[in-house]
Amino acid sequence: MIRFFFSRLVSGLLVVAGVVVVVFLLFNVLPGDPARMVLGQRADLASVEVINRELGRDLPLASQFVLYVNDLSPVSVLNVVDSTSRVYADSGKYGSWLTVTYIGEHAVVLKYPFLRRSYQTRENVGAMLMDALPGTIVLSVSALLFAAIFGIGLGILSALYKGKVADRFILFLSVTGMSVPSFFAGILVAWLFGYVMNDWTGLEMTGSLTEIDPFDGSRYKWSNLILPTLTLGIRPLSVIVQLTRSSLLEVMAQDYIRTARAKGLSEWAVIFGHALQNALNPVLTAISGWFGSLLAGAVFIEYVFGWKGVGKLTVDALEMYDFPVVMGSVLMVSVFFVLINMAVDMLYARLDPRVKME
Amino acid sequence: MDQRTGMVNPLLEVRQLAVAFGKSAEQYEVIRNVSFRVEAGRTLSIVGESGSGKSVTSLAILGLIRQAGGRVTQGEIIYSPSGGLLAQDLLKSDEQHLRTIRGSRIAMIFQEPMSSLNPVHTCGQQVAEALMLHKGLGRKAAMAEVVDVFRKVRLPDPEKLISRYPHELSGGQKQRVMIALAISCKPDLLIADEPTTALDVTVQASILELLRELQAETGMGMIFITHDLGVVKHIADDVLVMYRGNPVEQGKVDDVFNNPQHPYTRGLLACRPSINLEKPKLPVMSDFLDDVANPVEVMNSEKVLRSETQTRPQITQVDDAVFSVRELSVAYAGRKSSLFSPKPFFKAVDGISFDVYRGETLGLVGESGCGKTTLGRCMLGLVQAASGSIRFEGSDLLKMESKQIRDFRKRVQLVFQDPYSSLNPRLTVGQAILEPMEVHGLHGNDANRKKKLNWLLERVGLRPEWQHRYPHQFSGGQRQRICIARALAVDPAFLICDESVSALDVSVQAQVLNLLNELKSDLGLTYVFISHDMSVVRYMSDRIMVMNKGRIEEIGEARQVCDEPVSSYTKALIDAIPD
Repeated sequence: MIRFFFSRLVSGLLVVAGVVVVVFLLFNVLPGDPARMVLGQRADLASVEVINRELGRDLPLASQFVLYVNDLSPVSVLNVVDSTSRVYADSGKYGSWLTVTYIGEHAVVLKYPFLRRSYQTRENVGAMLMDALPGTIVLSVSALLFAAIFGIGLGILSALYKGKVADRFILFLSVTGMSVPSFFAGILVAWLFGYVMNDWTGLEMTGSLTEIDPFDGSRYKWSNLILPTLTLGIRPLSVIVQLTRSSLLEVMAQDYIRTARAKGLSEWAVIFGHALQNALNPVLTAISGWFGSLLAGAVFIEYVFGWKGVGKLTVDALEMYDFPVVMGSVLMVSVFFVLINMAVDMLYARLDPRVKME
Repeated sequence: MDQRTGMVNPLLEVRQLAVAFGKSAEQYEVIRNVSFRVEAGRTLSIVGESGSGKSVTSLAILGLIRQAGGRVTQGEIIYSPSGGLLAQDLLKSDEQHLRTIRGSRIAMIFQEPMSSLNPVHTCGQQVAEALMLHKGLGRKAAMAEVVDVFRKVRLPDPEKLISRYPHELSGGQKQRVMIALAISCKPDLLIADEPTTALDVTVQASILELLRELQAETGMGMIFITHDLGVVKHIADDVLVMYRGNPVEQGKVDDVFNNPQHPYTRGLLACRPSINLEKPKLPVMSDFLDDVANPVEVMNSEKVLRSETQTRPQITQVDDAVFSVRELSVAYAGRKSSLFSPKPFFKAVDGISFDVYRGETLGLVGESGCGKTTLGRCMLGLVQAASGSIRFEGSDLLKMESKQIRDFRKRVQLVFQDPYSSLNPRLTVGQAILEPMEVHGLHGNDANRKKKLNWLLERVGLRPEWQHRYPHQFSGGQRQRICIARALAVDPAFLICDESVSALDVSVQAQVLNLLNELKSDLGLTYVFISHDMSVVRYMSDRIMVMNKGRIEEIGEARQVCDEPVSSYTKALIDAIPD
């Protein structure tokens, strides 16, 4: 198990390294002058040069990359003496760190990844992402739970009543759910439940998990979660329905299901005791894949519902050419993807003892 | 007691059973007029080839036919439980009542031990489940009982085995777990559907032995379904022969074997090659029966019959070795036990040396895992050898350049085991056979290749106009003919047949074996014939090589290896054949 874990970890780290390289190159060949974005169009040449030096834009690309990686890496080298050094241990940049050892002027330290500062607000990108992350995680987890619970449930129903009216109806709904684009569904859901039926539902068209109350300050408003969850969950739900259905039907035709029936088990016990566990592996793959992309791709939904999250942050940053924020969120999402896939691999091994720990 | 006759009811009596599949408008009957009785302590064997309806019959008894997509349209299944309870018609019982009988009073063992156990539950759980359900035992008590039952079916180390998963067991062990599951609630009736077909012959013998002992001990009735007449003779008291859904013959096992009445039974008895008899040519079903399932097959087999010269091809030159294999080893890497330990190797083929002479058939026999398939693949260059040499017509296969290898591939072809999966379902038969000719650029142009295609199809007994059909339109035997035609498309001198008839019914098997022999003498081919079935190998081969655990146990003239085996392993292998 441990060896399995480490082999997955190594391949995960390689993926992340690849993403770092691609992200760095991509955003450094894009047109646009970051110094101008930081200072505005009317800045004088001297200020622009100061900013360019601060951003390391006066160095060759390779050196810029090394500096970038040094900023990102949890294990990095910082200069503790020379405050003009580009890797000066500035607690304003790096926050707190743990010194491992000193080499001359430099120290090898353990620190949090430094994702640089936003061009627009000069705020630390890491802090901005951490601020937006809970909203996104809450939204995607609730959407996925909604999709998984109803998707698997409806999928089982559909398989059991294969060919009957219930099955056809569920399939019809799931095909519809799959074919409606999420931005359209978002607007539709917001308008229908938040505006037209507002008297009944009492739900707002837009809103975040936390809202500012003039008297109490910040507080949670969970009812705002309902509509975005519904919208975001429709597509995964539709896919999960179909996957559960076909996978369960396939498993139900297996020899060991016949054995279970010949034992005298009730149909209920056959399905939940013998078939479901075997049928859920492909469903699990789909769910994990969706979870990653929900974290990254709730963009439209967050935008439509005005939900404060990583997606909205990214879109806003893209509009402003605020590259550090975009780079930071892309990196974060890829790390999430890797982590989720690792977790799923481990889960597979638990669900199906035949998955060998190679 | 039956009030009318005053006779004791048999354990199970099936009367005029008919089962149909499909929707009511276009339903078709798969069995009809099936009647038989099973007495306590006796074994009824239902014999037939694929499609004869024998499995359908057993599922109907258990009331599981609806789940398989069928429906009982007629008949009665009267079950008289032990202990003097009232007889009941299972077909009139509701599902709830049937569930108390299933697995408890009437239990079943299925054909495929590999797939009949749930891969995600431990063996112990799966047996305990039945005990908890029918005997109301708690989990602990049930597990303790499972250990007892496992011991009874002679599974090694039962305490450990209950927490193992099915994939960690061998095929024979899995079938023992299935038997344990079936007998755990001490049923009145045990239905065994081809329980030994997927197993090695020595394992089969031990499983049959076990079933007989269990029956003697518990006095249960048994329905034993099989296609293998050798097994029937071994285990059954009574026989019911079925053919395409109809019962054709029924009686005591000795009567049926010694004096078969129906031509189909006679055919079935004759088609199977026997280890003791040498026939120049196998009889086929059409010799006995005019109404054979597929009129096409009849046409071919008759043609084959008439054209056959009644002598077997003899080896012409014994010193002319086509293949000569020396000290050949093939190893597969195993799993490392820890990070730093060296990689363990499993030697599938371990230092083997032998020759194959031109014009002969070398039979390669052994049980699963003995390395015979690996050896065959290695001789084709499909598997890398670890050491040793393979010389084909003088040049070393392991040192060939890629051009030479392509040439070699043209000379040596393979016929696979499973005719169902070895043909691409999206290619027509014509395309499948033309493809190797095109790859090797044979016969100049397309027109010539087409001509060759027609000739090949005719040669293997198929109609040339069928070249536009897809594989699923053919029966198993026809597909194997297509596979043979495809192998012959590049004019090879050498064919390796890897279990090429194992997936076929005996009557079809006989036709394919005859075809192979005929092609061999007409085209001057050399065969390596790989099979687990000693009788088939004996029939086909001039010389036999017995393999065990990657080594050669014995090699010699077919007659000598079969009649006077030197090695004890060969002896055990031959003794295990139920004849």
